[in-house]
Amino acid sequence: MIKVVLSGESYAARVWRKTRNGVGVEVGLAWIALLVFAAVFAPFLANSMPLLMSKDGIISAPVLHYLSIEDAWVLASFFIALLLYKLKLRAGQRMALFLVSAVIAAVLVNVYVNPPKLVIYDDFRSPAYTQVAWRVMPPIPYAPTDYLRDLVSKGLEAPFETTGHLHLMGTEENGADVLSRMIHACRIALSIGLIASGIALFIGVIVGGLMGYFSGLTDMLGMRLVEIFEDIPTLFLLLTFVAFFGRSLYMMMVIIGITGWSGYARYVRTEFLKLRKQDYVQAAVASGLPLSSILFRHMLPNGIAPLLVALSFGIAGAILSEATLSFLGLGVVDAPSWGQMLDQAVKSSSFNWWMAVFPGGAIFMTVFAYNLIGEAFRDAIDPKLTDDAGIE
Amino acid sequence: MIPTLLGITVLVFTVMAMSPGGISAQTLVGGMDMKPQEKQALLNYYNKRYGLDKPAPLQYLHWLNNVLPIGFVMDEQGHQGAFSFSKGMDLGTSFQYGRPVADILVERIPITLLLNLVTIPVTYLIAIFVGMKSATHRGGRFDVGMGMSMLALWSIPTMLAGVLLLGFFANIQHFQWFPTSGISSREALDMPFLPHWGASGFVRGFLLDRLWHLVLPVLCLSYGGFAALAKLTRTSILENLHSDYARTARAKGLAEHEVLWRHVFRNSLLPLITISAGLLPSLLAGSLIVEHIFSIDGMGQLAVEAVKGRDRELVLSITWVSGFLTLIGYLLADFCYTLADPRVSYD
Amino acid sequence: MTQPLLEVRNLRTYLQAGARQVKAVDDISFSIPKGETFCLVGESGSGKSVSALSVIRLLPEGVATHPSGEIIFNDQDLLKLADSGIRAVRGSQIAMIFQEPMTSLNPVLSIGEQITEALYAHNPDISDSEAEQRTLKALEQVQIAHASRRFHDYPHQLSGGQRQRVMIAMALACEPQLLIADEPTTALDVTVQAEILRLMRQIQEDTGMSMLFITHDFGVVAQMAQWVGVMQQGQLVESGSCASVLHQPQHAYTQQLLAALPENLTKPKLQAALELERPATPLLSIRDLKVWFPINKGLFRRTVDYVHAVDEVSLDIFPGQIVALVGESGCGKTTLGRAVLQLEPPTSGSIKFRDQELIGLSARTLRPLRQKMQIAFQDPQSSLNPRLLIETTLTEPMKVHGIGDSHEHRIELASQLLESVQLTRDFLWRYAHEFSGGQRQRIGLARALAVNPEFIVCDEITSALDVSVQAEILQLLLSLRQQRQLTLLFITHNIGVVEYLSDQTVVMYQGKIVEQGDTAQVCQQPQHPYTQKLLAAVPRLKTIR
Repeated sequence: MIKVVLSGESYAARVWRKTRNGVGVEVGLAWIALLVFAAVFAPFLANSMPLLMSKDGIISAPVLHYLSIEDAWVLASFFIALLLYKLKLRAGQRMALFLVSAVIAAVLVNVYVNPPKLVIYDDFRSPAYTQVAWRVMPPIPYAPTDYLRDLVSKGLEAPFETTGHLHLMGTEENGADVLSRMIHACRIALSIGLIASGIALFIGVIVGGLMGYFSGLTDMLGMRLVEIFEDIPTLFLLLTFVAFFGRSLYMMMVIIGITGWSGYARYVRTEFLKLRKQDYVQAAVASGLPLSSILFRHMLPNGIAPLLVALSFGIAGAILSEATLSFLGLGVVDAPSWGQMLDQAVKSSSFNWWMAVFPGGAIFMTVFAYNLIGEAFRDAIDPKLTDDAGIE
Repeated sequence: MIPTLLGITVLVFTVMAMSPGGISAQTLVGGMDMKPQEKQALLNYYNKRYGLDKPAPLQYLHWLNNVLPIGFVMDEQGHQGAFSFSKGMDLGTSFQYGRPVADILVERIPITLLLNLVTIPVTYLIAIFVGMKSATHRGGRFDVGMGMSMLALWSIPTMLAGVLLLGFFANIQHFQWFPTSGISSREALDMPFLPHWGASGFVRGFLLDRLWHLVLPVLCLSYGGFAALAKLTRTSILENLHSDYARTARAKGLAEHEVLWRHVFRNSLLPLITISAGLLPSLLAGSLIVEHIFSIDGMGQLAVEAVKGRDRELVLSITWVSGFLTLIGYLLADFCYTLADPRVSYD
Repeated sequence: MTQPLLEVRNLRTYLQAGARQVKAVDDISFSIPKGETFCLVGESGSGKSVSALSVIRLLPEGVATHPSGEIIFNDQDLLKLADSGIRAVRGSQIAMIFQEPMTSLNPVLSIGEQITEALYAHNPDISDSEAEQRTLKALEQVQIAHASRRFHDYPHQLSGGQRQRVMIAMALACEPQLLIADEPTTALDVTVQAEILRLMRQIQEDTGMSMLFITHDFGVVAQMAQWVGVMQQGQLVESGSCASVLHQPQHAYTQQLLAALPENLTKPKLQAALELERPATPLLSIRDLKVWFPINKGLFRRTVDYVHAVDEVSLDIFPGQIVALVGESGCGKTTLGRAVLQLEPPTSGSIKFRDQELIGLSARTLRPLRQKMQIAFQDPQSSLNPRLLIETTLTEPMKVHGIGDSHEHRIELASQLLESVQLTRDFLWRYAHEFSGGQRQRIGLARALAVNPEFIVCDEITSALDVSVQAEILQLLLSLRQQRQLTLLFITHNIGVVEYLSDQTVVMYQGKIVEQGDTAQVCQQPQHPYTQKLLAAVPRLKTIR
C-alpha cells in the first residue's frame, strides 16, 4: 500500500512550490521583480531633474512636480497591489478589489495630477537648478527623451566614450542616454506583455468556452475562426494592422492581443471537453448543483493550469512582437522601446554593439525569464511527473 | 481548406478597409505636391484603374473575381464580360512598383522558399540529433547542458541573433567570414555552377557562393525551431523508451540500440510530424525579420514594404499566397502522418 | 528429486524513486520445477510484478539494484550474467508476456514483423521463409484464425483477446523453457480470460514448458498453478502446493486474503428479513429505454450510423433491493446506470421514479428529484475534485438541497457521514490527493449519502480496489443499506461480488438485457446461453465451506 503523506497542502500551493523548485526559476522571478521595480519607479531612477533640492532655504522636489498622469497612476496601482497582497483575502476578491481601486485611482489621478505640458530638459542643467545649496539627483541623471542638445551630443557613442558626461550604456542616435531609455522602456515592455496577453486571454477564453459549451455548429464555426487566425503568419497580420491603424501604444497593445488569442481558445476548448467527462463534474451534475457552481468551482479551477502555462509563454511572445515591430520601423514613435533601440545597432554601416547587446540582452533576459517560469510551471502541473514515479 | 483561405483574405481586406483612411485613392494621392487639377486627374486615374471609389465589399468581390481562375472576364475599362472557366488569374498591379503583382511574386517567392526549404531539414536534423542524445543519456552532462542552452536559444529574439551574427561575423570591425547581404554576390550570376580551379585561382561556383551567402540567414532562421524541436524530441523519445512495447522488445532479447532504432525512433517521430505543420507559418514570419536584416530580396522583405506602402494589391496577394503555402504545409504534414502511423487513415 | 528449472534464492530488489529507496522485493526464495506452474499472488504493491521483472532483469538500470540474491537457471546465475548473456536468455529460453496487450505491442509494426523479430534476434542465420513459417505455426498454435492474412495486420486491428494471443505467440516463437506471465488476463473480459487460460494450459501440456504466473485473482491461481507463493510488501509470507495454501492456509495474511474473497464472505443475518416483504410498487421503473450515440463522419459531420449502447431495456427496481447489473465491457451497463440519473441523454423510452417521469424534465424540476438519486464512481483518481477540501465536497450538495440549518450544522452532519463510512472526522480538512484509493471510494460514498438519497447507482466502485479493501467496502454497503433503507443498483463485471451482494441480478449483453431474476436463480440455474457461458468462465476457488 502507498504510504500517504498527510500534508494538508492545497493544490495551488503544491504547484507553486514545485514551480519555485524548477531550474533557474528563482533567477527568472528576480529579473521580473527587477523589471517591475524599474517600471514603477522609473521617474525616480532616471531623470534629468533633481529628486530633492534646496534653494534659498526652500526644499522642493521637482520630480514630483513633473510627474505625468501615467507615472502617478502606475505608482498608485503598485502600492494598492502591495497592500492587497498583504491582506488575507481570496484570489477572486483580491482581483475585484484591485480592479475597482485601479479605476478609482485612474479617475483621481486624471483630475488632480497636472504636469506642465512642455519640459525642456536643458533647463535642469542651467544655473537655476545647479546653483543650489544641495541637491539629490536620480542615479541616472538623464531623462529618456532628453536629447542633450545643450551638450552637443553626437549621438550613437559607445559607453564611457563621451567626454564630459558619463553614459554607462552609451548614447543612441538622437543623443539620449541608453540606460535611461532602457529603464523607461521596461514599463512599455511589461505593460504590453501583460495587457496584450490579457486581451488575448480574455478573447480566447470566451471563444473557447463557447465552443466547448455549445458543441456542434458553434464549435465548427469557432474552429474555422481559430484556424484563420492561426494560419496567417501573425507577424504579417500585426504589420498590416499597425501600418493601417497607426502606431500609438494602446493601439499596439490591443492589436497584439487581438492577433494572439487563437492558442488560448484551443486550450480552453480542450480542457472544457476533458473536464465535462470527469467523474467529479458528473457527480456535481448528479447532485443538482447550479450551473454557476459547476462552471466556476469545479471546472474552471481545474482547467486553468494549462492556460497559465500558455499565458507565461504568451507574455514572452507579446514582448517579442512589440520589439519586432519596433525593429521593423513600425513601433511606437517617441516613447523608448527596446526593439527600437535594437534597430539602431546596424545603422551607419558600423556595428554599434552597445545598441545590440544592452537592449537585445534585456529582451532576451525577459523572454528567457518568462519561458523558464512557463516551463517550470508546466512540469509542476504534469500529473506524470510526481515524486513517486509510480513504482508499483 | 478553401473557406479558411477565403477567410484569411476577408480578414486582411477588412483590416485595410477599416483603417482610418481606408483604401482610397485619397491616401495615395494626398501627400503629393501637385496642382489640384493634376491631383484630381490622378485620383480619377487610380479610381478607374483599381476601382478604389467603390464600396469595400464590392472592391473585395472585384478583386476576388480577378484572382480566381474561374470567373467573369474583365476588360480594360472594368466592364464585365462573359463568364469563363479558364480566364487565368490576374493578381493586379502593385501601386508602389507599378508592375504586375504576379511578376513581382514570381521573382521573390523562390528566394523565400529556398531559404525556408533549406532551413527545415537543417532544423530537423539538428533537433533529432540533440534530442536523441539527450534522451539516451538522460541526466548526463550533455542532457542538462543542452536543456538549459536550448531554452536560452529559444528565448533569443531573432532580430538580436541576426544583428549579432551580422555584427560579429560579417563585419570589417570583427570577423568577416560571411557576406553582409544578399543571397548571391554580384559576380555569381556569371559563375559556373560548381566550384573549380580556374586560371585566376579558386573560383567559387554559383552553388558554393549561394551556400556561403545562406549560412548566416539559415542559422538565424533555424535556431529557434531546433531549440523547440529538440525538447520535443527528447520528451517523445523518453516517453517511448519507457513504454510498454519497448519493454516487450527488451524482453524478446533485443539490444538497447536495436530497441531504440527499430521500435522507439519511428514512434517518437510522430509528434514531430504533427508539429511540422505549424512550423511553416512561424518560418514565414521569421523570414520577415531575417530578410530585413540581411537585405535579402525575398517575400518577407516585400511584405514589409507592401504594408508600409499600403499597397492593397500586393498585400492581398501576399496574404493569400502565404496562407496557401501554410495550408499546403498542413496537408503535407497530415499526409506524412498517415504514411507513418498505420492507425490513422486519410478520410 | 529432479533439479528445478528456475531457483530463486534470497532475492532482493531495491528501487530508487528520487530520494527514497523502496524495498520492493525483500529476500524471497522459491523454485519452479520443469513443466509446472508457479503462481505469485498478492495485492497491489506486494512486489510480485517486480519479482517477475527481476528474473530477466527488465527493470530500468538506474532505478533498480539487486543487493543480494541468486537466480539459478540452467546452471547459470542470471543476476551475474553480462548484458549479452542475459539478452541471449531473454526471449529464447525465458519469455515474458505482460498485462496490457494494446500498449505492449508496437503500434507501427505489423504483428508478423514483431514475431519474426524475436526469431531473428536469436537465430541470426535463419532464412526469411523459415522465419515466416515458424511465425505462422506460432500463430496457429495460439488459435488465431487466417494466420497468413493476419500476419500483415497491425495491433489496432485486432481485439484485446487476439492481441494477447499474439503476445503469447511472440513469446513461444523461440520455444522457451520458462514463460513468465505478468497478469496476462487482468485487462480482459472474463469469457476471453477463460479462453486464454485454457490456451495457456494446453500449450504447457504440449510443450512441457514451465510458467511463472503473476496474478491477484485466487480463482485463476486455482485453475493454473501447482505451486503458489503469497507476497506481502516484498516478502513471501507463505508458499507451497496449491491445494495446501488455498485450502489450509497457515499464515495470517493468506487467511485474511482468502477470507476477503466475495465467495467466502459471510452476509449479515438481517438480510433474510428484508427479502420477505416486497412492496408492490417499484421505486424505479424503466420501459423500452434506448440510448443511442450517433456516429458522425465526413466533412459536415453527418450522422451515418448509431452505436446502440442501450437497446430497449425494461427493468423494475423495488425499494430496499440491491440489484446487480452484470456484463462484460461494452455491454452498456455503465451507460444504463448514467442514463437513469439523466447524466447521459436518453434517446427514447421512459424512466419513472416513484411514478414520476424523469425524461424530458427541465433542470429546475429535476433538482429535487436528484436529491433522491445519487451515484458513486469507479475511478478513485477522478471521482473527487482535487481543488476542494473534503468538507466542501460534502457540504455543498447539502446546502443546495437545504439539508442542515447552518454551516456548522452541515459540518457536523458531514463529520457523522465520514464516521459512518469508517473514516475519521479530521479527514474533512484535507484534500483528495492525500488519500488512498480505498479511502477515496469511501469518501465518494459519503458524498452520495450526503443528501439522504433513496437510490444510489454504484458504478463499478470496487473494480479498481484490492480484494481486501473491496471486502470492506462491500460489507460497508450492506450495513449502510440496512441503516438507511437504501436501494442500490450495483454495476459490476465480477460474478463473485454479484453472488455475495445482490438480491436481483440483471445480465446485459450488447445493450440488451438477456436475463434477469433472483440472484440465486440466475447464478445457479442460468437460462440464457450467454449467462451460462459467462458463469462457466468465472475462475472459482472451489472452496468447501
